[in-house]
Order: sequence, then structure tokens, then C-alpha cells
Amino acid sequence: MQTKYLSIAAVTLILGLLIGLQVRLLEVPQPSLSPDARISALSAELNELTKENKGLREEIVDLEEKVSIAQQGVEQAEAALRAEIEKHMVVAGLTKLIGPGVEVTLENVPGGDYIFAIRDEDLLRVVNELRAAEAEAIAINDQRLVASSEIRQAGPFINVNLERISPPYRIQAIGNPDKLRRELERPGGLVDTSRYLGVEVRIEVKEELVLPGYKGRPRLEFVRPLKEGV
Amino acid sequence: MWVSIWLAVVGLVVGIGIGFNLPVFLPAAYAKYLGIAILAALDSVFGGIRAAMEEKFDNLVFLSGFVGNAMMAALLVFIGDRLGVEIYIAAVVAFGVRLFHNLGVIRRYLVGRKSETA
Repeated sequence: MQTKYLSIAAVTLILGLLIGLQVRLLEVPQPSLSPDARISALSAELNELTKENKGLREEIVDLEEKVSIAQQGVEQAEAALRAEIEKHMVVAGLTKLIGPGVEVTLENVPGGDYIFAIRDEDLLRVVNELRAAEAEAIAINDQRLVASSEIRQAGPFINVNLERISPPYRIQAIGNPDKLRRELERPGGLVDTSRYLGVEVRIEVKEELVLPGYKGRPRLEFVRPLKEGV
Repeated sequence: MWVSIWLAVVGLVVGIGIGFNLPVFLPAAYAKYLGIAILAALDSVFGGIRAAMEEKFDNLVFLSGFVGNAMMAALLVFIGDRLGVEIYIAAVVAFGVRLFHNLGVIRRYLVGRKSETA
């Protein structure tokens, strides 16, 4: 009499099994960021910070040396100041530079429509990737990029440093050539997606690139340095 | 009969125990199918318990209902995926309505028994 209800037990057994499987299925962390990726991201960050720390230490040594030179006499002080000015001109992008790096050429697809033309965003993405790959100096069609440089669509043209540039766009970057190249050619990275969007990207590694200095004048109309602790 | 409820509870506990310890992982793409299968099984169990309460329980009806409903629901999920319309909601609603209806009937039996013994 009661054995006929065993089928209910069988079905509830299956029900429980399914519930167990489903709960476990939803518990599994989705592979959005696997532990491996987290570890590599964190170790990259650590590397970065270690390098920055080392750079700052070197800066301290450099400045201390200059201070000690300056204390020796007027002439030495002037030389130290000149060296410091030189260094800041390089950092600000006002001087001509030479070094190894990559040259990225972006060209419109021949016979392509206007909507497929390279836009400011394409150049900005390349520059962004290059900066992420620790490029030390970047120029687009001989327009040196400095802190105030803009890359902006102006009708069918693109303006850089208020100068109109035209295709093919040649982006030169001084930095670790392998690293720059690797970062751009990462699978699913910039070159991949740009090709997909119909932009031809060519990367050439150069032993020696010469980058011009920023030709414009710094426009500082509104800012004043704030002296802290004076 | 009351045995049916106890059997259901025992089956559920054992099933969950097995399900949690089974060394099998289903791909996430089947989550929807599994969900609808759970609903179909739940519906069948409540229908079966209700039938047992009414002394109308029939193994063949019960098992064929479970298998048939689960398959139909899975088919709806599949077709819905293909068409881009979530047709399986029809199964969810149908099972849901029946589930609560059966639960209501079972509850009346439960309450009725309680008043008997009290």
C-alpha cells in the first residue's frame, strides 16, 4: 500500500539533486577576474611602485648632490641650476629627443567611406596605450605631445597642438620598444580592435627615433604657483 | 497519506546531500534549464502529495506527469532561446499557479487533521 508512494521519494530525490547542483552552479565565481589575473595585476602594481620608489630615491640623491655643489660657490650653483633646468625642459617636452621606440602608422583603408576614416578617438586610444606602456615621449606627425596637447577632431581633420595634421598618421613613441609593441599587439588589444574597425595599423620598432620639441609657447595666463609652507 | 510527505522530505534531504557532494559541475549555460526542471519537479511533488491526500495517487500518472512536464518546460526554454522570446515564463507561471493551488489543498488537509487530533 505504502510502497506505491516511493515514486514521490524518487522524484523528490531528483528534485533535491537538481537543487544542489543549481545552488553549486550559481556559487561558482564567474571567471570575470580569475585569481591568476588578480595576482598578476597586483604583482604588476607592486613592480610599478617599487620602480617609482627607486626613481624617487635616485631623485633625492641627485638633488642632494646639486645642493652640495651649490654650497661650493656661485659658478657651481649656476651649473647645478642649469642642469636642473635642462632636466625639466626634457620632462616638459620642450627639447628635441632621441631614443629607441616604436613608430605606429595609422592609415585609412583605401577607397573607404568617410565614416570609416580615422578619428581623434583612434589616435587618443593609441596614445593612451603607449602611455600605459611607459612611453617617455610621444609625437604625432612631428607634433610633440606635452601636458597641454589636445588631439581633437575638427571637421574632417584632426588637430594636435592646434596644428592640423593629415593621414597617414605617424605616432612616434620613445620607450622600451618591446614593451610598447607588446602592449599594442596584445590579443584583443588596440591593434586587434582597430583592424576590426577597418583602420590599418602598422607598428615598426626603431632603434633610433628623433622627436621634435614642443613648438608652441606655454600659455599660463591664469595659474599662479602656490607656495606651500612659506 | 502522511507517509507521502515524510517520503518527500527524506527524498529531498538525501537528494540535496547527493547534489552538493556530486563531483559533477554543470556548465552555467544550463542554469535556466535546471531551474525550470526544479520547478517541474516541485510541481509534480506537490501534485503527488495532494493526490496521496485525496487517496487518488497513481504512479503512472505521477511519473508521466513529472517526466512530461519537465520535458515540455525544457523544450519551451529551448524554443524561447532560439526565438529570443522568453517563452519559458509560460511554464513558470503555469507551474507556479498549480504549485500554490496544490499547496492550498494540502494545507487544508493538514489543518483539518490538526483540528481532529486537538
